[in-house]
Amino acid sequence: MSGGVRVRAGRAPSPPPLPHAAPQSARFPRPQHDHLDADARREAASKGYLPTRRGYAPGGLNITSAEWKLLILISLVAVFVRLYRISQPDSVVFDEVHFGKFASKYIKSQYFVDVHPPLAKLLITLSGFIFGYDGNFDFKDIGKVYEANVPYVAMRMVPALLGVATVPVAYLTLRALDCRATTALLASLFITFENGLVTQSRHILLDSPLVFFTALTVFFWTCFCNEDKHEPFTETWWAWLVFSGLSLGAVVSCKWVGLFTIATVGVSTLRQLWTLLGDLRVSPRLFMRHFMARAICLILVPMLFYMFIFWIHFIILQNPGDGDGFMSSEFQHTLNGRGMADTFADIGIGSKVTIRHVNTQGGYLHSHPSNYPSGSKQQQITLYPHRDTNNEWRVLNATRDGDPDHDWEGKPLAFIEHGMKIKLKHITTDKHLHSHDHRAPVSDVDFQNEVAGYGVPGYAGDANDDWVVEISEGDKRDRESSKRLRTLRTHFRLRHAMSGCYLFSHKVKLPEWGFEQQEVTCNKQAVKLNSLWFVETAEHPMLPADAPKVNYKLPGFFRKFLELQQVMWTTNAGLTDRHTFDSRPESWPRLRRGINFWVKDHRQIYLLGNPMVWWFSTASVFAYIVTRGFLVLRAQRGYRDFESTHVVKYDTLCGFLFVGWLLHYFPFYIMKRQLFLHHYFPALYFAILLSCGVFDLVTSTLKPRIRLQIAAVLLIVVIWNFVYLSPIAYGNSWTRKKCENAKWLKTWDLACNEFYDDTSLYNTLPATPQKSAAVPTAEQVVPPVQQEPVNAKNVPADEEKAAETSADFGQAEPGRNVFEGVLHEELKSKAENLPVKASEDAAAAQPTDLPPPPIEYADPEPKHEGKPAAEAAAGADAAAEKPAAPAAHKHSDDEDANPRVEEVLAQMSQVMAKVEAVLAEEKKQDDTGVDPVIPGTEPEKEGEGETPQRAQGAQQEEEAEADRVRGELFPDAHLD
Amino acid sequence: MSGLNSPTPLRQRRGPASRSPDYSVVSQDDDQVEFTSPRNRSAAERILETDKANIAVVGILTVLAFALRFYKINHPDQVVFDEVHFGKFASYYITRQYYFDVHPPLAKMLFGLAGWFVGYDGHFLFDNIGDSYTENHVPYVGMRALPAFLSSMTVPIVYGIMKECGYSTIIAAFSASLVLFDSAHVAQGRLILLDAILIFFISMTMYCYVRFRKLRYQEFSSEWWGWLLGTGTFMACAWASKVNGILTVVAIGIPVLIDLWDILDIKKGHSMEYFTKHFMARAVGLIVLPVFLYLFFFWIHLTILTHTGPGDTFMSPAFQETLQGNELLLNSQEIHYFDSISIRHRDTRVFLHSHPERYPLRYDDGRVSSQGQQVTGYGHEDSNNHWQIIPTKALPETGRGRIVRENDVIQLLHVSTQTYLLTHDVASPLMATNEEFTTWPKDDYSRHNDTLFRLSLVDAEEGESWKSKSGHFKLIHVPTKVAMWTHPKQLPEWAFNQQEINGNKNINEKSNIWFVDNIVAEETGADVGNRLNIGNKKPKSRNFFKKFAELQLLMVQHNAGLTASHPYASSPINWPFLLSGISFWTDNTGQKQIYLIGNLIGWWTCVVAISTYVGIIGADLIARRRGVEPIHDSVRNRLWNSTGFFLIFWAVHYFPFYVMSRQLFIHHYLPSHLASALVAGSVLSFVLSETVNYPISIRGPSTHPKPSTYADVGMKGPIIVGVFVLAMFIMFCYISPLTYGTPGLDGDQVNARRLLSSWTLHFAAKPSSDV
Repeated sequence: MSGGVRVRAGRAPSPPPLPHAAPQSARFPRPQHDHLDADARREAASKGYLPTRRGYAPGGLNITSAEWKLLILISLVAVFVRLYRISQPDSVVFDEVHFGKFASKYIKSQYFVDVHPPLAKLLITLSGFIFGYDGNFDFKDIGKVYEANVPYVAMRMVPALLGVATVPVAYLTLRALDCRATTALLASLFITFENGLVTQSRHILLDSPLVFFTALTVFFWTCFCNEDKHEPFTETWWAWLVFSGLSLGAVVSCKWVGLFTIATVGVSTLRQLWTLLGDLRVSPRLFMRHFMARAICLILVPMLFYMFIFWIHFIILQNPGDGDGFMSSEFQHTLNGRGMADTFADIGIGSKVTIRHVNTQGGYLHSHPSNYPSGSKQQQITLYPHRDTNNEWRVLNATRDGDPDHDWEGKPLAFIEHGMKIKLKHITTDKHLHSHDHRAPVSDVDFQNEVAGYGVPGYAGDANDDWVVEISEGDKRDRESSKRLRTLRTHFRLRHAMSGCYLFSHKVKLPEWGFEQQEVTCNKQAVKLNSLWFVETAEHPMLPADAPKVNYKLPGFFRKFLELQQVMWTTNAGLTDRHTFDSRPESWPRLRRGINFWVKDHRQIYLLGNPMVWWFSTASVFAYIVTRGFLVLRAQRGYRDFESTHVVKYDTLCGFLFVGWLLHYFPFYIMKRQLFLHHYFPALYFAILLSCGVFDLVTSTLKPRIRLQIAAVLLIVVIWNFVYLSPIAYGNSWTRKKCENAKWLKTWDLACNEFYDDTSLYNTLPATPQKSAAVPTAEQVVPPVQQEPVNAKNVPADEEKAAETSADFGQAEPGRNVFEGVLHEELKSKAENLPVKASEDAAAAQPTDLPPPPIEYADPEPKHEGKPAAEAAAGADAAAEKPAAPAAHKHSDDEDANPRVEEVLAQMSQVMAKVEAVLAEEKKQDDTGVDPVIPGTEPEKEGEGETPQRAQGAQQEEEAEADRVRGELFPDAHLD
Repeated sequence: MSGLNSPTPLRQRRGPASRSPDYSVVSQDDDQVEFTSPRNRSAAERILETDKANIAVVGILTVLAFALRFYKINHPDQVVFDEVHFGKFASYYITRQYYFDVHPPLAKMLFGLAGWFVGYDGHFLFDNIGDSYTENHVPYVGMRALPAFLSSMTVPIVYGIMKECGYSTIIAAFSASLVLFDSAHVAQGRLILLDAILIFFISMTMYCYVRFRKLRYQEFSSEWWGWLLGTGTFMACAWASKVNGILTVVAIGIPVLIDLWDILDIKKGHSMEYFTKHFMARAVGLIVLPVFLYLFFFWIHLTILTHTGPGDTFMSPAFQETLQGNELLLNSQEIHYFDSISIRHRDTRVFLHSHPERYPLRYDDGRVSSQGQQVTGYGHEDSNNHWQIIPTKALPETGRGRIVRENDVIQLLHVSTQTYLLTHDVASPLMATNEEFTTWPKDDYSRHNDTLFRLSLVDAEEGESWKSKSGHFKLIHVPTKVAMWTHPKQLPEWAFNQQEINGNKNINEKSNIWFVDNIVAEETGADVGNRLNIGNKKPKSRNFFKKFAELQLLMVQHNAGLTASHPYASSPINWPFLLSGISFWTDNTGQKQIYLIGNLIGWWTCVVAISTYVGIIGADLIARRRGVEPIHDSVRNRLWNSTGFFLIFWAVHYFPFYVMSRQLFIHHYLPSHLASALVAGSVLSFVLSETVNYPISIRGPSTHPKPSTYADVGMKGPIIVGVFVLAMFIMFCYISPLTYGTPGLDGDQVNARRLLSSWTLHFAAKPSSDV
């Protein structure tokens, strides 16, 4: 019965069920009409030259051969603009610091973690690899000069060529959107001469690939839509759809911003489907076919592509690296050399175990012979992320009744069960895990007690050493594990028998005295997840060699993939600290401020858009919004604008581009993370296309010739503007005056003081490498008071120094990489293997007390690293060479100390290098007779005036006081 | 016209495609025809729809609401949760001390009023949760009665909204009881907290708007105006009660815009003049009036709070000087050349400090310093904080000419080391982009230029004198144009972890502002006491709008700054599902606690209702797209317009919290919960019966008479609602020890009441076995 069914009357303002017929006919003119523009062709078509099926160009791309030539020409221009002096500068620029480094890590196959998906980085790596990069350059700082064997040009070529490719893609996209060739030409040249896109694509950065893939997606999708209007389910239709899907996968594999591109295509798809749904001629079956085709190609294909890229990522990164610390222990064991041997599954009284914290990646329950500086002043208990003998504990029986020592060597093995009372003895130092009524060292709150190592060898320990094992959960596949403690399988808590608090750790680092390891406390209100532990390794002399053994269950690709996504996500959200050149989204469309990429040698690279292109595109966006709003109001009042094909055509075209702009721009408003101007680039791409769409509309009534003239004028302005600002895009020579003049907005903080007054000075400048070796002259070592910071103008030799001291915006700063923090720990873990023990402590103890520079100057033989010079240096060096160095220091926790050694060494060698250079240059300069500093003298510290000392304590008090007052004044801060 | 018989006259405009009226009647359920007469409804419905029954239901609901909210309202006689703040603010109103808070003042003023009314003198400061009221003789019951009263009144208003929207009595009672038996509304409503007041105003706003909307065919009648202005008034009250009240403005704004959009539609046949008239009326009622009221509440607020109080320090010096007894007002004095002063940073409260130690030549990162004398920020009074102001121009011997003024170029001499403050183009120790501050010996003139600083007073006119305490200023270095600045990061050991002072190139930044804390000595070294004329200085007057603007700006900034974590803060996604509550108060002796948590049955019902609604609407949209019309037009209109209105309130009061980065609590969901209760009612109505009361809008002079239909949910309505309400009531009683904080519970009872494992109740018994 058709009672409930009723064909709908016309849907008034919404577009007709099938797309506007007009463009279709216009797209297939007879060959002789090729020279005509879109309108003229349409007219011709209306006279009856209807297209035939055969004449339909794939994707609706009807491009004449003359246009192909034009396209080649444009591409050549783009190649010139993008690749001009691409090897300049020959030093690290902005985030090349990170992305270059990642390439090194790929090549060395060292595991790392980054907030961006790997595709673009893999491409860069590939290029570097092909050109023979060995991964040995560290990309440490902005301005660091590339060594000869670093094919940085090849690596920069990847973003540069993709940047070039964006230009013809933009041309083709607009043509596919049925714009005139003039319009498409305008758009492609706008993009070619967009300073920001040029700057961004000339360096090892990810945004250029991102913009390229975004553009490519838009192009494929437009072509697909054209095919779809023409005839669905043809081969070409499928091809465009699959290409769109692949390209979507590529965007999102470059940066997560690609999700916005997916959203754009998604909105467009939904609109298509909605139109299809309303077309009652389309049967539900056919509709489902449409739906499934899109679902597979636009959801499944990108996902597979994305996962495939990560699969490659995991294949390449097989070795441990500085990203390990972010991953779970299971994950870490998939890395080469990180796996561990199978370990005994059973744990009994007397087992030697290592215990790991479940929730944080903090690592193993650890102790070392250093004491807490406060509280009980007993031995520190920490979490330490790397394997080490100091993580080993012996489980002892602590049950009151019966023999407290329980002769585990003699008696049969007793398993550890729920509720059992145990002691844990730190094997290397013979101390018991102990807790008592002292506040925790860092988390100074009522409910957290300190956990310390306590006791002397042979001492049986007191009641405060007793812990009750509470099994929380076992592994489902190992039933035993929920009844008694089993290695790796049982998660348990340790309750302090006397005070009832739980052994606990959280993401709080101890200060320097604790080697920045993670704090361990005994918490009375412990969050369950943070008080769970498991045993990672266990061995017991009583267990036979063939006793059951266990190992980590290695995660498969999917688990690794998901874990990494999660880590990326949480870290990405956590990137919130400020950067000198970060900016908020509202400032982007007006190009309020750029980013300082690089400053060196009186040149600067500063990311700044082409103001003409930029402002024109923004103005077009607003013009579109206003016009569209006005038209909607008119429609409500009965005007029939939307019945004109002209309006509908441009509405569809601009609407699509506008949605693209909107979706690539507005989501940034709700992001709290650090944002930069270059995050606007995908949106800018849409805005530029939109502005050309508006141009097409505005000039649609003009004669082609006049239209071309207008376009030419626009282009000339844009190109002039490009050339005007090009020195900061290319890092070319410039003059201070020109720079000052180019500051059109006060907020463009170009480092004008860096530039010379006259370009001719650039020629007289020594080449970079020499300059970096140039060293502060003797002037620098002159005792303090008289010494005066030198103005850059004074002496040429002071240049380097001026660059070093001058407080200037000249300091470029790379974007932050949160994952870098782990580097520190990584160093520690490497140090493990060093044979040295005590000596490192020497270095560790005086990490900052580098001998002041004068000494090195005085050193007659700087080549021998640290042979004579200051003792401190000697100590540090000795650390690397011989084990028995001075070491008047208490703790011998080698792993902890080692990084310091390396740091110190690194610093030392830097200083040494400088010294060598000085001596090389100024051989005449004789030993000025500065006495070497007496070893171990701690300069100044003790001798400080009293006032400041007092001051410090008082300051703390005052701070506490201030906190309290603040709390009182503004209690609402606590709640609500 | 055939349209006269059709239940949906609108259909007529669709032209030939629409069905004929007869056809439409036949195609519906057969029952539909019968129920077009009110007498054909089921007995239950007929009885319930009488006025008497109506009054009886409202009466029962109201009495119950009062009973539940006033039950043991004197318990606990201790400060609970945020009473710490709002009670305190009420005290301040009574003692007329100036305070600062992120919320607008209306609700707090009402508390002050209630306190004043019951004879409270404002002596108690509500310092800690758990402080005793009885010991401190605070008439807290009177103050708690206010929100309890308003919270109780919310229940009949909810009923009224549903009734006015044309739902059956039993449906209206259902929605009302969702609010009535809700533990969260009760717990929140019987304490000195703002939310109950906010919710009352929100519900009143909705009620007025519904009444207003029903009069749409009698536009510009006095009743119409009355409800319009009523909407505006209550909207302003909601907005002035709590920050999130601003969402109510948005929630009303959306339906109003949709309404206006319809009027603009050419198919309605209205002229532009007509539209303009409507537009202006709404602009007056919903923009001008509320803004005026909002300002008016602030005016009262500022008129009451005329004395100095804890809020002073948040305000600008100019503002502070309007407060009686303010320190700035009393102690601020003009600064003369050669005075020794101590300078303090406004934001971080550190003194400008220097000591004989020098900057290390080379920092850890390899950069080099000037090795000059350190200039740091130090938080404590110290003689090293004293700086003398040295003029750079000729001074008269005595008189006003010796006063330091805006834009003067000065030098600052560090008294104890006799060196001038200096900055230069050398990177500061911690920030490579900022200039290092150091000092230079007094008698070495080689760097004279670098010791010149220009005094730039904040908001000052030319020639204004520089005053201690109140004269906030920036110190701009003359040659390099940087402003003296500091930030909370500490310098390393070598500077005793004091704060870094450096030159900020962005001189417009707000954090560049300093002030003179004290004039330590005059040129002669004499005490400045004689210059003081401490007496009863009269507070200065200041334009209300300036004061208002400053206060409003601060409120917004501080509200955004409330990001510290709180143990009971929760994220919005948890709220509708009631995953966690807030522990308001605990009492160890009796194991008593108040835990803010809703009625699990009620809240989950609301969630189900909302998802059902979204499902229905989605299915309807898709079906219509395919030319199928599964829902009858009158029912569909009700679903879209009335339920849609409720859903907008729910969504607008809920989703914005997702993008807020501030601390969020479950009680922020209560307004949304109220709206979801309304949605639940209408969805229940839709599920039970395909009938609606129609028309519900009041006929106007030019409207055609329309055929009426009557809703009938039949006997099943009262039964289902009865059972449901009983279940709600049992659940309410079951968790009432948590709501009222009495009686105390032992460990196992607490465990039993932990209905979801995510509820963090106190005094829970240790689980006996945890395997």
